[in-house]
Amino acid sequence: MPALASGAPKPGRLGAPWQAVILLGPALLAYGVFAVLPFLDVIRLSVMRWDGLSPHAAFIGLANFRFIFTEDAVFWTAFGNSVIWTLLSVAIPPAIGFALALGLNQKLRGRNALRAMFYLPVIIAPIAVATMWRWMYDPFFGIVNSLLTDAGLQRLIQDWLGDRRVALYAVFVAYVWQTAGFAMVLFLAGLSNVSPTLLEAARLDGANRAQCFRHVTLPALGSTITVVIVLSLINSFRTFDIVYGMTHGGPAQSTQLLAFWAYTQSMQLHDFGHGSAIAVVLLAVTALVVIPYLRWTQRREDAA
Amino acid sequence: MKRPDWFLVALWTILVIAAALWVAPFVFILLTSLKTEAEIYATTVFALPAHPAWSNYAQAWGRGNFAATFLNSVIITCIKVPLGLLLSAMAAYALAQMRIPGRNTVFLAILFGTMIPFQVLLAPLFSLVNSLGLINTYVGVILPYIAFGVPYQVFVLRGFFRHVPKEMTEAALLDGANHLTIFWRIFLPLSLPALAALVILDFVATWNEFAMALVILQDSGRWTLPLGLMSFQGQFASAYGQLNAAIVMTVLPAAIVYLIFQRYFIGGLTAGAVKE
Repeated sequence: MPALASGAPKPGRLGAPWQAVILLGPALLAYGVFAVLPFLDVIRLSVMRWDGLSPHAAFIGLANFRFIFTEDAVFWTAFGNSVIWTLLSVAIPPAIGFALALGLNQKLRGRNALRAMFYLPVIIAPIAVATMWRWMYDPFFGIVNSLLTDAGLQRLIQDWLGDRRVALYAVFVAYVWQTAGFAMVLFLAGLSNVSPTLLEAARLDGANRAQCFRHVTLPALGSTITVVIVLSLINSFRTFDIVYGMTHGGPAQSTQLLAFWAYTQSMQLHDFGHGSAIAVVLLAVTALVVIPYLRWTQRREDAA
Repeated sequence: MKRPDWFLVALWTILVIAAALWVAPFVFILLTSLKTEAEIYATTVFALPAHPAWSNYAQAWGRGNFAATFLNSVIITCIKVPLGLLLSAMAAYALAQMRIPGRNTVFLAILFGTMIPFQVLLAPLFSLVNSLGLINTYVGVILPYIAFGVPYQVFVLRGFFRHVPKEMTEAALLDGANHLTIFWRIFLPLSLPALAALVILDFVATWNEFAMALVILQDSGRWTLPLGLMSFQGQFASAYGQLNAAIVMTVLPAAIVYLIFQRYFIGGLTAGAVKE
């Protein structure tokens, strides 16, 4: 029975179309104006020359893209760093999260407290994580170098955020600390869907722990693994706060990432054209991941 | 007497050591925040402060202008979270229970928003908010926050509302209720558990947000806590005790909320991502 028709004819009342507008309108308006519009605007700005303030922006075709691809050395540095960052982000925090989830899915004393401890960094503001780790990496009084000294490993002591060969990885360690708990929670949710009766049956048939894991648990986690990998991928493209807070992209651009370089071009160097072109490149890469993923989600939801 | 399972004992030991490692940064920050400068230079990292230097907190609070940034964060969060969630719930109801032409397209368009990295859109967001004359205003930051909160919340709540039988809505419509009443009287109370989870999640996200606030709130009188902390780090980086006190004060509200509402929090997080 069509809901839209049922409310329409009564006088002095809002018709169903109006009710739909009232319910759906405000959210769509906010989303359309403050999320979709900037999204379209960044594409428009990527073919313009504009300083962000003057009333006139000039159309210059693909010159911004030509510039970032051929003349902007920092772009390729940021690109390379972003590739490293993304590969590490997809591999390491999910792997740690997976291991933690497997362990904390067992019946262990105090496992809820343990889960909470691993998860706690996820809810801390990324900018506070950056500040914390900057202090921990302090060359003289920070915990990292102090503990290395105590352990007799003075030769490993570095200026963690000041040396361009190690800075990116030092920032990444802080990122792992912050994000592994997120993957853990998603995997725990996935594990709670693994059928206990199936595991019990496998055990009764004489399967050992490794076999149960390999043939029962792992196949049931297929979709969870996809979700965690895609979310880790997308979150890695979003990385901004932690770089801003720890290194500002330095030293010598060694921790520069694409999202941060887009921001720097636009908001610090007042070159909205170049900044937007970088943003468009990153959005295109994101779309390559997101569109197939959304299709997959949609299919799964239709099946459910 | 049952034989101990050595596999589980070993596993437990490893996990406890790992957890200790995981919380060590918090312990270090907390200890440093209670040490005087002299103690930081002289003692080892995990040494307890002889006399807790609570004055670090008082001084950081004053020098970092925490009273103002704290208030700004509270105002923005307390408006954004309930308002944003109400708008999302209304939209989710319409998409789940009403027959609207093209609603699947609308839903897909919203779903796409969960994946847009807004960190890439800071410049056009700035120029948009600037053209509306809303730079350095609460409204100027709350509206984009709502816009980028809508997709995930609509996604979760629509899933929730879809599982309510359509017959219920249809029966109420036959009794003469309209959709607004049905939403308000039936669906909103029904979705309280899901809403609770989203409130907690959104509270933490809003409280912690940095990048958008950075470009929109440029006047230090309007700064939120994360911006205040960043500036404090820039100005007083070598006042280690106070810097760490500032970190603790920034982090504590979200940590407390999380520890109290843990159960809901995880529910909200996994509702959208993992379900079979």
